[in-house]
Amino acid sequence: MSSIMTIAWKEFKGFVKSPTFYIMMALLTLILSSLFTIQLQRFFQMGSMAMSQPGMGGQLNIHYTVFLNHLQILNLLLIFIVPAITMRLFAEEKKLRTFDLLLTSPLKSYEIVIGKYLGAMLALLVVFGIAFLYPLGTAMFAKFNWAPLLIAFFGIYLIAAIYAAMNLFCSSLSESILISYVMAAILNITVWFVSQGVEFADSQWARNILEHISLSFHISGLIEGTIRTNSLIYFFSGIGLFLFLNERVVESHRWR
Amino acid sequence: MIEVKNLSKEYGSLKAIDDVSFSIKKGDVVGFLGPNGAGKSTTMKIITGFMAPSSGSASISGFDVFENPIEVKKRIGYLPETPPVYSDLYVHEYLKYVAQLKKVPKDRINTLVNRAIEKTNLGSVQNRLIHHLSKGFKQRVGIAQAIVSDPEVLILDEPTVGLDPKQVAEIRDLIRELRGQHTIVLSTHILPEVQATCERVVIISKGKIVAQDTIDNLSKLEKGQGRIFVRLRKEVSDLKSVIAGIDEVMSVDQGTSKKEWRIDFKGDDETIEKVSSKIVGNGLGLIELTPSKVDLEDVFLKLTYGMEKGG
Repeated sequence: MSSIMTIAWKEFKGFVKSPTFYIMMALLTLILSSLFTIQLQRFFQMGSMAMSQPGMGGQLNIHYTVFLNHLQILNLLLIFIVPAITMRLFAEEKKLRTFDLLLTSPLKSYEIVIGKYLGAMLALLVVFGIAFLYPLGTAMFAKFNWAPLLIAFFGIYLIAAIYAAMNLFCSSLSESILISYVMAAILNITVWFVSQGVEFADSQWARNILEHISLSFHISGLIEGTIRTNSLIYFFSGIGLFLFLNERVVESHRWR
Repeated sequence: MIEVKNLSKEYGSLKAIDDVSFSIKKGDVVGFLGPNGAGKSTTMKIITGFMAPSSGSASISGFDVFENPIEVKKRIGYLPETPPVYSDLYVHEYLKYVAQLKKVPKDRINTLVNRAIEKTNLGSVQNRLIHHLSKGFKQRVGIAQAIVSDPEVLILDEPTVGLDPKQVAEIRDLIRELRGQHTIVLSTHILPEVQATCERVVIISKGKIVAQDTIDNLSKLEKGQGRIFVRLRKEVSDLKSVIAGIDEVMSVDQGTSKKEWRIDFKGDDETIEKVSSKIVGNGLGLIELTPSKVDLEDVFLKLTYGMEKGG
């Protein structure tokens, strides 16, 4: 356990110290800020319109109109942010031969993988911390229900967790940071397209299958503020599968 | 301490090492010698548990490298060909990280990190980013990384490659200093390095061990053989005929000019005396006569390249 935390903490510190991470976070802030204010402005415009036209205000809900859009944008951005965070974790170590150090240290392969994964998840906490600043700022002049918001954030964090597991696996396959980024981004986009594909499937049969493997179907419950166990199982088994594959790749270095 | 039995490793059809066996006692400093691509690094990688052999076994302190890799790795400090340093860490921070990875008990980490820094003379750069260090310093950080867990066995893969002569001398001093505290295996293709630091040598060529012995014994491999260089004032067209009467002389070769000759002989000092008196007696003007032992280099070349020539 302690070696896992040692690796996770070292990787996290590596992110916090790297200029690339700051540039990425600055870009994230820029995009989120400009889009969030637009959403918020529209919500208040709709609010004042509803006041002048009674009967329309029933559908107005800050959770749906502002926060969910905010999270959808974050969800889209994650497709490109997560690979940028995970790309160097294995690829760079292999290229700079520092991987030799990990493989000749008294560590099990799964400790290396989980350590790196937790490092990436800690870095993603920073991303979510930044995204959470917006609802937090809104709370200064509006009152809303926190619980569904927190659950929705948790849901998107699970999506990020699944992306991170997939993308870490991509990183372990290559020695090049660029290849690992591109591979990871393509994989994320593919998964995202599967989610979109549900709407275009003709047969009920295909639709059912696509629904069950699509992220957005499983996330929809969480986003609306309800936790369903089958979705949780879906997320954790997805994460488990990719971490397992990753562990196999690391282990294979020992007998190649 | 280190037992290697019938180790083989194949990369596809290429045999990197072939049926290698040797054993190293506790406290020994052993040089692993061989030309490039002989299988030195492969053998070391297998001993460290970094990679698995195709067949055979290796064990360290009684722990098999494959059945008990964790125990083995706790006892090994390994410096690969490229020092495994993270350029975005500070020297001190890096060594601490390695100590944690090597499962050094918490209360000993600081002591051991400081000891490693002191031994490798890194005190002046310990608060600098590894990225900004010169190659020599990076190499030293690599060695510090290997000794930071105070391992029983130190395995150094070409520790002085790419360093300037002063740094090479420093690293050799360091290895000599570490002698006695650790069992050390170092690989190299530079002979003086082995002569300067090691007690025993394992010579490997084309994946096979061709000799393993102490340096003294290896130097005496060709017992009673000697070589002398002579420099004359006068030019001689054929020195061979001049000293023809001496049976012990095996061959006479011309050096860079007709004034310099190299004589191989089988015998002792008496032979040298006979040769010199012949030259002086013929009035050739002997101005220099240097006897030289058959050194490790000759043994090495004979064992590695000589076999190639002979088929």
